[in-house]
Amino acid sequence: MNKSRRDFLKYCSLAGLGFACPGGMTSVLHADVKETPPYDGPFYLVFNASGGWDTTYLMDPKGINEMNRLYKEGDILTKGAHKFAPTEKTKSGGMSNEEFYNEFGDELLTFNGLDYSVNNHSPGARYMATGKLDSLAYPTFAALVAACNGPTCPLSFLTFGNYSATGNVVAMSRVPYLPSLQKIANADSIEGNLRSPYHDDFALSRIEQALGEQHAARAVQPHLPREERAMSMLYAAQVNSKALQRVTPFIPSTNPKGRLAQQAEIALASFKAGVCVSANLSIGQFDSHANNDTDQMKLIPEFLEGIAYVLRRAEAQKIREKLVVIVQSEMGRTPTYNKGNGKDHWSIGSAMFLGPRIKGNRVIGATDDKQFGVPLDPKSLACCKDSDKEKGIKIRPEHIHTALREHAGIAEHPLSKKFPLVIPEKERLKGFWG
Amino acid sequence: MRTATHQFILRAAFPLLLLAPAGGLFGAAPDDAKTAPMPMQHRGPADAFFLDELWPKVAAQDCLKCHKPGGEAEDSEFILRDPKREKDDTRDAALAENRAAFVRMAAIKKDGESRLLLKASGKIKHGGKVALEPASAGYRVLAEFVRRVNAPADPKLAPAVVEKNAPPFFDGILMLDDRRLLRRATLSLAARLPTDAELSAVAAKGLKAMPAILEAVMKEDAFYNRLREGFNDIFLTLGADGNADQTFLSYDHFPQRHWYQKWEFKEIPDEGSRKKAGYKMADEYRKALHLEPLKLIEHIVREGKPFTEIITADYMMVSPYGARGYGIFDEVKAKFKNPDDPFEYIPVRLPALKGRAKQQDQESKTGFYPHAGILSTFQWLCRYPTTETNRNRLRARMYYQHFLGVDVLELAARVSDAAAVTAKYKVPTMEASECVVCHKTLDPIAGMFQDYWKFADAGVYGKRKDGWFTDMFGAGFEGEDMPAEERWRALQWLGERTAKDPRFAVAMVEHGYYILTGRKVLLPPKDLDDPLYSAKRRAYHEQRTRTEAIAKRFAETGFNFKNVIQDWVMSDFYRADGLASAEANPARKAELDDIGVVRMLAPEQVERKVTAIFGTGWGRLKHGDGGLDMLYGGIDSKEVTERATDPSGAMGAIQRILANDIACRNTALDFSRAPGERKLFPKIEPDVLPGASAEADANIRETIAHLHQQVLGRNDSPASPEVDRTFRLFAGIVSDAAERGKFSPDENYSCRQGLEHPVPDPKYTVRAWRAVLTYLLRNHEFLYE
Repeated sequence: MNKSRRDFLKYCSLAGLGFACPGGMTSVLHADVKETPPYDGPFYLVFNASGGWDTTYLMDPKGINEMNRLYKEGDILTKGAHKFAPTEKTKSGGMSNEEFYNEFGDELLTFNGLDYSVNNHSPGARYMATGKLDSLAYPTFAALVAACNGPTCPLSFLTFGNYSATGNVVAMSRVPYLPSLQKIANADSIEGNLRSPYHDDFALSRIEQALGEQHAARAVQPHLPREERAMSMLYAAQVNSKALQRVTPFIPSTNPKGRLAQQAEIALASFKAGVCVSANLSIGQFDSHANNDTDQMKLIPEFLEGIAYVLRRAEAQKIREKLVVIVQSEMGRTPTYNKGNGKDHWSIGSAMFLGPRIKGNRVIGATDDKQFGVPLDPKSLACCKDSDKEKGIKIRPEHIHTALREHAGIAEHPLSKKFPLVIPEKERLKGFWG
Repeated sequence: MRTATHQFILRAAFPLLLLAPAGGLFGAAPDDAKTAPMPMQHRGPADAFFLDELWPKVAAQDCLKCHKPGGEAEDSEFILRDPKREKDDTRDAALAENRAAFVRMAAIKKDGESRLLLKASGKIKHGGKVALEPASAGYRVLAEFVRRVNAPADPKLAPAVVEKNAPPFFDGILMLDDRRLLRRATLSLAARLPTDAELSAVAAKGLKAMPAILEAVMKEDAFYNRLREGFNDIFLTLGADGNADQTFLSYDHFPQRHWYQKWEFKEIPDEGSRKKAGYKMADEYRKALHLEPLKLIEHIVREGKPFTEIITADYMMVSPYGARGYGIFDEVKAKFKNPDDPFEYIPVRLPALKGRAKQQDQESKTGFYPHAGILSTFQWLCRYPTTETNRNRLRARMYYQHFLGVDVLELAARVSDAAAVTAKYKVPTMEASECVVCHKTLDPIAGMFQDYWKFADAGVYGKRKDGWFTDMFGAGFEGEDMPAEERWRALQWLGERTAKDPRFAVAMVEHGYYILTGRKVLLPPKDLDDPLYSAKRRAYHEQRTRTEAIAKRFAETGFNFKNVIQDWVMSDFYRADGLASAEANPARKAELDDIGVVRMLAPEQVERKVTAIFGTGWGRLKHGDGGLDMLYGGIDSKEVTERATDPSGAMGAIQRILANDIACRNTALDFSRAPGERKLFPKIEPDVLPGASAEADANIRETIAHLHQQVLGRNDSPASPEVDRTFRLFAGIVSDAAERGKFSPDENYSCRQGLEHPVPDPKYTVRAWRAVLTYLLRNHEFLYE
């Protein structure tokens, strides 16, 4: 693919319009349609504990005030700067906190005391995914970074669940099973067999040329905005889909068993092939209104095992150093148990981060002994004591997302500006990533 | 300052009001005892400002949540009426009352400052705390209203004059021609191309022919398939978990639910075949149970019954298989045309449920299960199950969304410190104003479902052992408590009120829009600081006005849902197809942002379109069996519940596979048929070569124009640039092949299967036509609606 065409695609994507840019594209579209170069990272994985995790059984341990029945304050463990709940003896399958922190604690940044502001799943999930509570129009971070960094990737934004709105800036891809990728990787060959093309190469080239000419001719005609967007995205989807054939070598012959691992293999194969920028990975059932400890001791270890699987597989595939990992949930759980031994919704929680240019072995923010968020000084990132509370602010998803956009280098991107996260300059988290 | 757009919105929204002199704009509105008359000099400017600014930007968004009957602030002196809950003839009066209430409050001062502003900003005691931050645009609007009310008469604030030159909303927008509108409608609603008779009717009478055609189309079985599919996209009842016979039919109440396990299949001699037949019967039984709610919708529409029956019908639909499971087969079997057809449905009233233990018996004063349309179906109740802690709130939320068009969690209010509120109150949902604002509306509806209190695979009917929760607002509907004696028929009581609520008709019209366009109606814009706010507001308002107009006719014509479909199809929103000239104005572009159907076809729709055009479907986009439908943005009604609206690269690949495959299957096959039986190439043979003669080229161009019509629905002339491009594609491939010189004289092996007789391809024309078809199938006009 020539550079001018690549630049053109990039330019169009800035407008969220794929190819629908007025004027000047005819020569570009007349150029030979060749596959886009592989996207080379960074790659973004957003792990979501759907339903609301109990942070006191992971990165924000308490063991006081009858908050946890499975351990006491004195049982809390540490690994470097991290404090975590012991789960080795109480977990039901999966990976214990001990194992997880031992393996990844040095790389891990934890934020505690995140204020979700709401107590409900849908708005909480939307808020955590986009950084904006009161809009249905905003894209998730994963969608936004995909649109900014890899608009021409055929599977730019993969999702396996959780809130996945795109803000119309990029198409969402759902690939439910690994074999699905195999089925579509060689679309111009009969049954995907490269030795049996549907058309001779000269005929296929003529088809692509005719489609390109048609697109160019129509692009200069007036269209309703919806139609303009649709034509652009359709053309881009078909052209860019050719790059999917790069995925084939990276599809593993066997399917792993874990829920997250299955999703991860699809994402990793797509990353490795350079056809994907970001993916939402998600497992549910964290909403432990009944029997909190039983559920959380099954799900948190499963969740951690899934994260560890991804990181190890990424290491094996040599893309680990390009992988930015965000670990989150849409809410926390109450400090007290209800009558059914469960815990209800709590609007304070945590998030974890790991990846390039994220300094690990750090914990920012805190909750107090009643599991309320402690105000944070955004300049120093220090928790404010009672006497100093006026310096502190509640850290909400928009603060985290602003920092995420800055980390990804997309804060000034036109698409980010189209979806502003308005926080006062004095509330920006300084040095959040270390 | 009022803009032309604002004035246009005002004119469109309140056409009758603008005919009145400024001073008497609300003169006819009834002033109740609480409504102080306002000084005449304030009426004009405040009227327009109220309607155009204060109401949509502040009052409807913020104040109305609590300050309404049944709301958290219902005991305050400041009560508003929700215009969306008013019928046409009372809506203006409601707004007039609301305005009067605001004027009265705006005139009251405390320590020299407006009490209204002090309340809104939380500077004096206000149940809703800080409703408007002083720096917010909403606060500025309220402050301006207060200023206008209290300012002495100022000529500069004279009543606004309607902008007579404001262009109509659809000005400059091209509409589909009648022929293409017809094709869009028949494909969308009946999965077929228009008939010659329909085309002739449209050619002769234009748009006037459409209502009769639509009426006929909506009697076809294919329409009901589409209707069921569309409503499942909304209600998602096909996604109810588990084996239907165990999930929907409880162990306690339906001892015959596993009747199929005892079916002997005496007529089948061998064990293996009997097993297979048993599996098939079980599958069909479960599928038939799943379909019941959607069949209820079909029945209501097919029989021309009022669509309010989806929430009031005192019956359910059952198939012969379902009837066996419910234990009523012997009573109803005579009513079936074919009692062995698993998918024939009839309306029946289920007897009140009898449990294995007496306490499991359902109370009923009629002896029947208290059916309330979809609401009381086991499928809907199972699809939205409850738990001890959820307390039916999911069902309440879905009730509002499905039947009144209100998504209570759509834009949840931010709570300044949600954790502190949760911890501070013993029962936050009844005590904390931040929570009460929603729960006072939601929880009474949750209470209506209190006797459907079984979890997981235990069915749905059953009372809570410890009685209904006392730390919730009691059962009722929007401020009206449910009388205790109505509890046995609580859902019927709710359904009756729902059907009378003006929001019901609007919600159904919105569902109609969703089915036809694949997307929801616009929401009012919220960001007052958005420079395109006015444009977005106008777009919303135009669509809302049309929605309400269709809802009005819907209600006036006995809630005939076919009228909803017909009105949308005939509307400018459905027919809008292009722009007369390029639009550079960002505000106008924002106004038009959602105009035009422009819907990427769902997998099922693609399959149907392929069938309509080629005679047989593709098959690979059918749901289940490891097909590509999920990858192509389909739904499973369980976890994936929203269809993809834009194509990803994966979908682009599927489009290419589809185009390649359909062209491969159909090109040589069509040529192998007698000319009179061909769908694609009725007037040409493979030996016609481009450039051979003027006649040959004309023949090819006519064939291409026919293909454009058949596949894309385009009415291109043989000399048009579009046909010219396709001609170049065809001729270029034939030429390239000739230049190559060496190629097989036969079509690709895979593409010459099932031919009626051999179709040799010595000149490469069959393959070139296949390429043409591939090209067309990748076009926007084929893949989108």
